[in-house]
Amino acid sequence: MPNIFDFKLVFTQIPKLLSYLPVTLEITVLSMFFGLLLGLILAIVKIKRLPFFTQVVSIFVSFTRGTPILVQLYLTYYGIPIFLRYYNYYNETNYNLNSIPSLFFVLVTFSLNEAAYNSESIRAAIQSIEKGQIEAAHSLGMTFFQVLRRIIIPEAFVVALPTLGNALISLLKGTSLAFVCSVVEITAQGKILAGANYRYFEVYVSLAIIYWVMTIIIEQFIKFVEKKVIIPD
Amino acid sequence: MIEINGLSKKFKKNVVLDNIDLKIEKGDVVAIIGPSGAGKSTFLRCINLLEEADTGTIKIDDLQVDVNKKTKKDLINLRQSTAMVFQQFNLFRRKTALENVMEGLVVVKNIPKNKAEEIALVQLQKVGLAERVHYYPKQLSGGQQQRVAIARALAMSPKILLFDEPTSALDPELVGEVLDTIKATALEGNTMIIVSHEMNFVKKVANRVLFLYNGKIIEDGTPQEVFGNPKNERTKEFISKLAYSIAPEYQI
Ligand SMILES: Nc1ncnc2c1ncn2[C@@H]1O[C@H](COP(=O)(O)OP(=O)(O)OP(=O)(O)O)[C@@H](O)[C@H]1O
Ligand SMILES: [Mg+2]
Repeated sequence: MPNIFDFKLVFTQIPKLLSYLPVTLEITVLSMFFGLLLGLILAIVKIKRLPFFTQVVSIFVSFTRGTPILVQLYLTYYGIPIFLRYYNYYNETNYNLNSIPSLFFVLVTFSLNEAAYNSESIRAAIQSIEKGQIEAAHSLGMTFFQVLRRIIIPEAFVVALPTLGNALISLLKGTSLAFVCSVVEITAQGKILAGANYRYFEVYVSLAIIYWVMTIIIEQFIKFVEKKVIIPD
Repeated sequence: MIEINGLSKKFKKNVVLDNIDLKIEKGDVVAIIGPSGAGKSTFLRCINLLEEADTGTIKIDDLQVDVNKKTKKDLINLRQSTAMVFQQFNLFRRKTALENVMEGLVVVKNIPKNKAEEIALVQLQKVGLAERVHYYPKQLSGGQQQRVAIARALAMSPKILLFDEPTSALDPELVGEVLDTIKATALEGNTMIIVSHEMNFVKKVANRVLFLYNGKIIEDGTPQEVFGNPKNERTKEFISKLAYSIAPEYQI
């Protein structure tokens, strides 16, 4: 029987792919972290209706939601060096364009993208908190940042948890596009392996298994956290 | 001593507080009564700056704040000198009774956790909730929640306590326990302003009653004076209507 589909290879090459899992996870975790932080800031700008900044945030969110992540990756990958060249030219500085690690472009793009999406979920979550608790905190003499840290964020986190969990899963899968900035994570590594042995189908099956398992782990983790934060009746 | 001068507040064109002056001595228990929409809540909320008045000064002991020239520090200081008990309790939902009472002590007053816990436990015991300190708000009855809120306010040792209809959101059978707690608080010598529709309670606990109407204090006297012999027509009308209302009885 001809070896049309190399079933064994699907599993034997998984370890070779997994050696790049740390890159995938690094992009996912760091982008989520910065995406949450920046998302919170954007949400606060919108809630406080800061003049000018609110408009800037609206345009940023609209742009990010209205363009494919693949295009955004190319925009930062080619855009940041062009920007730096102009900067060098006008300020007579000499920043080395080649010294920027490829991972940087990927992290910037994914963090900004996450921030845009998360800002909307965080804003909705914050606005769903009943005002009374916030007033009570203010009446005790807490400052805005104390109220934010002690009352608003813990409450909003619980409300936003399912949405943020879904965002994390999409992000994990989205990192497979990092190759366009020549970052090698598991998908890019898969392409490299297949380029050598021409077993493309096998490698994508292996990748599918890895992403699927990772997604299930994240889902279980979110479920676990959801159970943890619930207050029994 | 608390002194409020020229306090005014408009919402758009709606004048809610009209140039109010009020002086309260230490230990006074002042009740504010008046029809719905008179500005009672707004008045309390302007005192601790939850609502921003348009003009006026608020003086609590040595701290004098002009609402138009207040700094961030004034705001925090004034809020620390006052404590508010809300109609809807407004407990922190994700914190236990104990944590609710400790929150201001730890975060605002920077009291070490173990000391704050001691203070909080004493206050919770005083309001009769020693057994419930580790319960979350939603695991408590309305009356218990409001008593936690009172403990939270008292723990901050404010110079004045502000109660905004503390029993209006409660089932009738739970009103008594909260009124008892407020009465005990008054008997301890705390200075307080209470907005309440519980007239029998007001008569017995307050030593001064204000009738607020259209943003003005139009009657000011002892409970006997205001209820027994009101000077203003509006007050007379309000009080005679009350006589027919079925306000829950409160027995002491
Ligand atoms: N945030 C606000 N924006 C606009 N108008 C407001 C606001 N808060 C209160 N008002 C108006 O101010 C007036 C006084 O309201 P306030 O809540 O102080 O009355 P109250 O005496 O406490 O009445 P009640 O007995 O019903 O609680 C009302 O006409 C109310 O509609
Ligand atoms: Mg009111």
